[in-house]
Amino acid sequence: MTKRWTLPILLVVIAMIATACGDSDESTTTTAAPSGTATTVSLAPGETQPPATTAAPAEPITVRAAITGGEDTINPYTYISGFPGWNLLMMQYDSLMQLDADGIPQPWLADSVTANEDLTQYTMTIVDGATWHDGMPLTVNDVKFTFDYFIENATGRFSRDLRGVESVEVSADGALVVDLAAPNPAFDLVALADIPILPQHVWEGIATPGEQTFDISTNVGSGPFMLTDFQEDQSYRFKANPDYFRGTPAIDELVVIVFADDSGALAAIRSGEVDVIFERVSPEQIELLDAQDPLDISQGPEFTTQMINFDASKAPFDDLAVRQAIELAVDKQDIVDTVFLGAATVGSPGWVHPDKPAYNPEVVPVFDPAAANALLDDAGYADSDGDGIREFDGQPMQFEMLTNSSDSLRLRIAELVSEMLADVGIGVTVASVETATWEEAVWPGFDISNGRNYDIAAWGWSAPVQANTIRIAELVNGDPGVGFLNLTGFANDDVDRVSAALLTEADPAASQALIDELQVLIAENVPFVLLAYPDGAYVYNSDVYADWEFIAGQGIVSKVSLLAPGDRP
Amino acid sequence: MTAVESPKKRGRGKSAKLADRLGWTGGVMVAALVFMAVAAPWIAPYDPTERVGRPFSAPSAEHLLGTNDVGQDLLSELIYGARVSLTVGIVAAVVALILGTTVGILAGYYPKRLGSFLMRTVDVVLILPFLPLLIVLAAYLGRSLINTIIVIGVLIWAGPARVIRSQVLSLRSREYVLASRTMGAPDRWAIVRHVLPRTALLATGTFVRAVSTAILLEAALSFLGLGDPIQKSWGSILFWAQARGAFLTPAWKWWVLPPGLMIMIASLGFALIAFAMEERINPRL
Repeated sequence: MTKRWTLPILLVVIAMIATACGDSDESTTTTAAPSGTATTVSLAPGETQPPATTAAPAEPITVRAAITGGEDTINPYTYISGFPGWNLLMMQYDSLMQLDADGIPQPWLADSVTANEDLTQYTMTIVDGATWHDGMPLTVNDVKFTFDYFIENATGRFSRDLRGVESVEVSADGALVVDLAAPNPAFDLVALADIPILPQHVWEGIATPGEQTFDISTNVGSGPFMLTDFQEDQSYRFKANPDYFRGTPAIDELVVIVFADDSGALAAIRSGEVDVIFERVSPEQIELLDAQDPLDISQGPEFTTQMINFDASKAPFDDLAVRQAIELAVDKQDIVDTVFLGAATVGSPGWVHPDKPAYNPEVVPVFDPAAANALLDDAGYADSDGDGIREFDGQPMQFEMLTNSSDSLRLRIAELVSEMLADVGIGVTVASVETATWEEAVWPGFDISNGRNYDIAAWGWSAPVQANTIRIAELVNGDPGVGFLNLTGFANDDVDRVSAALLTEADPAASQALIDELQVLIAENVPFVLLAYPDGAYVYNSDVYADWEFIAGQGIVSKVSLLAPGDRP
Repeated sequence: MTAVESPKKRGRGKSAKLADRLGWTGGVMVAALVFMAVAAPWIAPYDPTERVGRPFSAPSAEHLLGTNDVGQDLLSELIYGARVSLTVGIVAAVVALILGTTVGILAGYYPKRLGSFLMRTVDVVLILPFLPLLIVLAAYLGRSLINTIIVIGVLIWAGPARVIRSQVLSLRSREYVLASRTMGAPDRWAIVRHVLPRTALLATGTFVRAVSTAILLEAALSFLGLGDPIQKSWGSILFWAQARGAFLTPAWKWWVLPPGLMIMIASLGFALIAFAMEERINPRL
C-alpha cells in the first residue's frame, strides 16, 4: 500500500533535481518547452518585411519580446493585464499625452493642453497629420467620440479615468474642451496620458463592446505599431507603421511571444530565442544576466512600495512613541541590500519616492535603534521581567506580523523586520498566510469602514497610488470618505487639514507646498513604515536593439522605447 | 527429504541475508541523520537563523555550501533541517499509526457492520487523489508545523489500517481468543490481552514505512510553500531555492542538490529498515 505514494513522491523529488540540472545547463535549455512556440513565430529577418520603410537600413530589425501570459486580442476591451497588457495596447494606440522619461505627461496627440485657473476645464488642440492605420485622418471628433464611448461603455480602467468628466465638447475653432465636476490637478496623468484614442469610423458600429467577440480587424489605431497576426496564447506580430505622425519607428517588426512563466522566458533570452523580456527581472537574476553577452539590463525607479502597517487605532500603536520607535528601529538600507540586492530605493518616511519631482528632500530616513530604545524607555515601556520583550499594561509587546505567502520577497522582508524589532524589545512572529486571508485581515472587504483585524502586517501598494502624488491624501486622511486607503486607522488633525486642502488646491506651487508639508507631517507621525520602492529591471539583447527608454515608474515597455530618439517626448 | 528441503532453505537464507544487509544500511543512514539532528548545535558551523555572509555566496572556506538569499549559511540550514524533517516524519507516522492501529483492530475484531463501514472509509481515503488533497488541506488549515503533521498523519493512516486489520481478522478466530470469549471475557480484555500484543510487531513495520512516506510528504509540502516557510526544513530550503531562482543559476549545485540528497537518504533509510523488518515479521502464508 505504502508504495503507492512513496513512488510518485520520490519521482517528484527526483524530477525536481533533474529540472534543476536541466535549467541551469545552457545547452539543454534550447529543448525546453517554450522553444517550440518560439520557433514557430521567429521568422528569418526580412521575410515579410515591406520594402524600405525607413530611409537607409539594409537589414530590417525584428525585436522578439517575451511575455508571461496571453493578452487576448489586445484592444481596449480585451487586453488582460495592466502590465504589460496596457503597454502593448498603447503600442497600437495613442493617448493625448505621453509620459516622458521622467514620468511627466507631455503633449502627444494633443499638441497643446491648457487648464483653466481652478483646474476644472482642460482645453486641447489635436496635432495635424495623424492618421489611422487604415489611412483615414485622425480628427478631434475621434477624440470626443472616444471620451463619450468610454463613459457610456464601461471598461474598468478608462471609464474610471474619466470619472468626474461632466461634458466633452468640440469648440468652434476645433479644440476639445473637457469640463470636470471638481478640480483635478492630476487629470493629465490619470486620464489624458492613459486613454487610447479610438477611430470613430470603426467603433461607432460596435454598440455593446462587452458582448462583442473581437478579432484583430478592430485593432485600428494611430500608434507606431499595427497588430498583423495573433495566435491565441502563443504570439503577436506587430508591424511598424511607416506613416506614424511622430516619425517611422526605429524597428520594423515587434514579435511578442507568450511564455508560461518567467523561468521559460529567462531560459529563452539566455539562449537567444527572444531579444527582450517585457516583465520585470527578479533581483537575484540581474547580475547573472548582465554578465552574459550580449544581454544588458535597463534598471530604474518604479512606484510599487513595500511597507509595514500597524493598527494605529489601538494600543500600543496608537502611541506615537511606539510608531516612531518602529520607524527608527528598521534598517531600510539593510532590507534594500539583502532582499533586493541593491535593486530598490530606500523608503522615504514621507511616502513620496525620492526620484519624483514632488519629493521633499528634507525628509530622509533615519536608522537609530538606540534612539528607538530611548523613546520606548521614556514612554514607559519597560522590560520588567527581563525576557528581552518590553511590556505595556502588563502585557508583553509580542505581536504577529501577517504577510502573504505568495510573495516570497515580502516574507523575507517580514523576517528581517522581526529581527530588527527584536533589538528594541518588540517581539514579532511572522505569520505567512494565504493572500485572501492577509487582505481580509488588513483591509476587510476592501473597505476601511469595516475596521481591521491585525497588529502588524507587511503590506505594499501598487504603482498608481505612488505615481499620482495627490493620492497621498487617500492614505493618511482620518475621514474614511477621503482617506479610503487609510488601512492603519491613523488619524491626526494636522494631517487631515493639510491633506484635505491638497485635494482641492488648484495652484501647482501651493499644491507642492502642501505636499511638502504633508511629507514632513507623515514622517513625524508615522502612519506606516515605508521600507523600500523596488526598482524595475528589464533584460534585453543589445545586439538586436539597445535604445530602450526607461520611463520612471513605468519601465521600458512603451512605444517611446521603439521610436527614434528624436521622435520621443 | 533433506535433499529436497535444503536448497529451499538456502534460498530463503540468502534473501533474509540480503534483507538484513539492506536493513543495516538503512539503520546506519537513519542513525547518522538522527545524530546530525541531535548534535546540530555542536556540528553546525553557524546559527542557521543568523545572517552570517553575503547573500547568494558560492561555496567557500567559511561557508562550505555557500549562503542563501539572505546570507544564512546553507550547511547549517541543512544540518538543522534534519530536526524538522525527522520530527515531522516520526510524529506524523505516530499519528498515522495510532489512527491506523485503532481502525485496523476495530475493523478486524468486529468485521461485520463496524468493520465493513470502517473498511469502506479506508477505501475512500486510499483512492483519494493524494497530493492535491494534501495541498488543499494544508492551504485550508494554514501554515504551521503542527498542521503539517496532522495533515500528513490524517492522510497516511489507511495503509497501516488495512495491514493490521488482516492480521486481526486471523487472530480473532484463533482458539485462545475464542476460548477467552466463550469464558465470558469482555472484548476489551481480549483485544488488549491477545490481539494488541500480536499486532504490535506488525505495526512497528508499518510505522517505519510511514516515517519514510511522511518525510517525503513534508518535503513536498514545504517545497510548495505550504509548510511553515520560517521553519528550517529541507523542503523549505528547496522552497527558497525555487523562489529565488536557484534552479536557474549555478547555485543549484550547492542549494538544491544537497537538501534533495538528504531527503532521499532519510526516506530511503527508513524504507530499507521497513523492508528488512517486513521480511522478518510479516506473516507468511
